[in-house]
Amino acid sequence: MAIVQTKNLSKVYNPDTVPVHALRDVSISIEKGEFTSIVGPSGSGKTTLLNMLGGLDKPSSGSVWVNGKEITSMKESDLIDFRLYNIGFVFQHYNLIPVFTAHENVSFIMLLQNRSKKEIKERADELLEEVGLGDRKNARPVEMSGGQQQRVAVARALASEPKFILADEPTANLDSTSAMNLLDIMSRMNREQNVTFVFSTHDQRVIDRARRVITMVDGAIHKDEYQNVEETKTG
Amino acid sequence: MKTLLTIAWRNIWRHPARSGVLLAAIVAGLWAGVVTVGIINGLLQQRIDYMIESEITHAQIHHPEFLAEGYSWLHIPHHDEIINWLENDSRVVNYTSRTITDGMLQSPVKTSGVRIRGIDAETERQTTTFHENLIEGEYLDSDVPSAIIIGAELAAEHNMETGNRVVLTFEDINNELTSGSFHIVGIFRSASVEYDRRNVFVRSDEFIELLGDQPVFHEIGIMLGHEEQAGEVTADLNSRFAGITAQTWRQLSPELSMLVELGGVMVIIITMIIMAALAFGILNTMLMALFERMREIGMLISIGMSKIRVFSTIMFESVMLTLTGTVAGFVLAWGTIRYLSGSGLNLEMFADGAAQLGWDHVIYPELTPGEYVIILSVVILITLMASVYPAIKGIRINPLEAAKNT
Ligand SMILES: Nc1ncnc2c1ncn2[C@@H]1O[C@H](COP(=O)(O)OP(=O)(O)OP(=O)(O)O)[C@@H](O)[C@H]1O
Ligand SMILES: [Mg+2]
Repeated sequence: MAIVQTKNLSKVYNPDTVPVHALRDVSISIEKGEFTSIVGPSGSGKTTLLNMLGGLDKPSSGSVWVNGKEITSMKESDLIDFRLYNIGFVFQHYNLIPVFTAHENVSFIMLLQNRSKKEIKERADELLEEVGLGDRKNARPVEMSGGQQQRVAVARALASEPKFILADEPTANLDSTSAMNLLDIMSRMNREQNVTFVFSTHDQRVIDRARRVITMVDGAIHKDEYQNVEETKTG
Repeated sequence: MKTLLTIAWRNIWRHPARSGVLLAAIVAGLWAGVVTVGIINGLLQQRIDYMIESEITHAQIHHPEFLAEGYSWLHIPHHDEIINWLENDSRVVNYTSRTITDGMLQSPVKTSGVRIRGIDAETERQTTTFHENLIEGEYLDSDVPSAIIIGAELAAEHNMETGNRVVLTFEDINNELTSGSFHIVGIFRSASVEYDRRNVFVRSDEFIELLGDQPVFHEIGIMLGHEEQAGEVTADLNSRFAGITAQTWRQLSPELSMLVELGGVMVIIITMIIMAALAFGILNTMLMALFERMREIGMLISIGMSKIRVFSTIMFESVMLTLTGTVAGFVLAWGTIRYLSGSGLNLEMFADGAAQLGWDHVIYPELTPGEYVIILSVVILITLMASVYPAIKGIRINPLEAAKNT
């Protein structure tokens, strides 16, 4: 069964004034353990698609299925709860709570899930270690580089043990070393722990690291292909 | 919950200057408000204590119609039995009987309507502090026969001083007009100019002789161990003795009892006024904070923070901010009131006007723990009201705010 799937998904912005067809009849299916990149020119609908997959926005027509459940018809409050337990998010920026340390940011989502204190502490320690921030646990976002902040965001997304993680241009604000470093962490999590990632990017080097590349043009799927990736490590 | 409080608390300090300004306003506002309430309380309490101690006493007994009519034949029946009862009741500390009639005071200058109060100098001195009002001459325990003491205002109007004579004219208990000549031995000044103009004091034994052939008393003033006992004691007296009315100071002086209630209402009104002004500051600060954090809140809703938690966090933030200010304001106000309740707040510069209205010029501000609680409740209530709007705006933030890439 697909972890996330769309059926004939369409999105029209401003249908009454100047309609913008951001998504046209998109049907995709992503399986558990896939490492998928969504690419395409600016304005092609990548962000719109990711927002639909994450249940952040409602489509004009079509449906989105996450783990066998149709989410577009869910009540808003149920959807918030559904996201908490099923979907991980890494945004381009403003990922973290500024008044919290790295450790508190990672712990926070588990607190929202009402997990035990002990489990939260251990898991946050472990995840920060895994993203290479074992020594920056008590740093606040302003005290960290953009790359470090994104790694905390990835650790946070992993912490909630979601079905899959969505990342809209997670490397867009990073220099290339930090970008490749973040990709390394994501792909290692994907390989070692079978975490499903769906991310969008403009960066060719990031695209090269994706096993599956979905290319969008003008709101529609243009190409959907699997590629071989040599498992190199940078940094 | 604890985490939400932590976020809220740290959010307050993201803009120390902005929060600081609001905090300073809250501290100043509450300090001023609490001290004002304290001063008003002090004024009211001073007035109440003075009135009780100098004249009204905790409870009084009269003939049921005496207070309304003022005739000398409406005297207290079974006076001696009542005195006997009072003597044996452990709640009663002191009491004094008074012989009172309305009449006319005549001097070479003019004639004035006065209430003639025949008192027993010794028991009156034990029961009330009226003797402290004497500003000139002697009290009624002087040796001068047919002594009278009159108020400073009345003395001035009649151009009289100690040693002068006045004539009192009144109806005796047989409804016949009687008069007597009295020597002014002393001049008093109470807190009320009006009272000083309308009341004169003579010795009850001499007065009784003029009134009739038997001792008559119209008023018994009773001081109790505790003011709160007034209700029970008057109830006991009323059920035990027929033909009299025993009343508490609150019943006797609707003015005083209104002052007590006024004090309670003032606390709420003053706090409301101050908080209503501060509410706009709170609203403004919270809206500014919210506007800056649109994306952050969008992110929190995106990753799965429920609306109730977002709502609570915003409410916590403003409540904690105001509570911090309130606590600081309370501490300052408490210190100020404590200081002033020791030394007293001297309003001598306004004393002339104050004396006209019957107030003393040194005020001892006070505030009960219950009043702090009332103020705190009003503060929290208004803060919650001022924060609801920002909090509702907060939960309406679209999660897509976080996904925006610009
Ligand atoms: N809120 C909106 N209102 C109106 N039009 C929108 C809105 N959001 C996106 N669009 C339009 O929808 C289309 C798809 O936008 P989208 O942001 O999904 O593209 P994208 O592939 O993510 O682009 P980029 O690479 O620049 O991030 C664009 O034409 C865009 O202008
Ligand atoms: Mg985009």
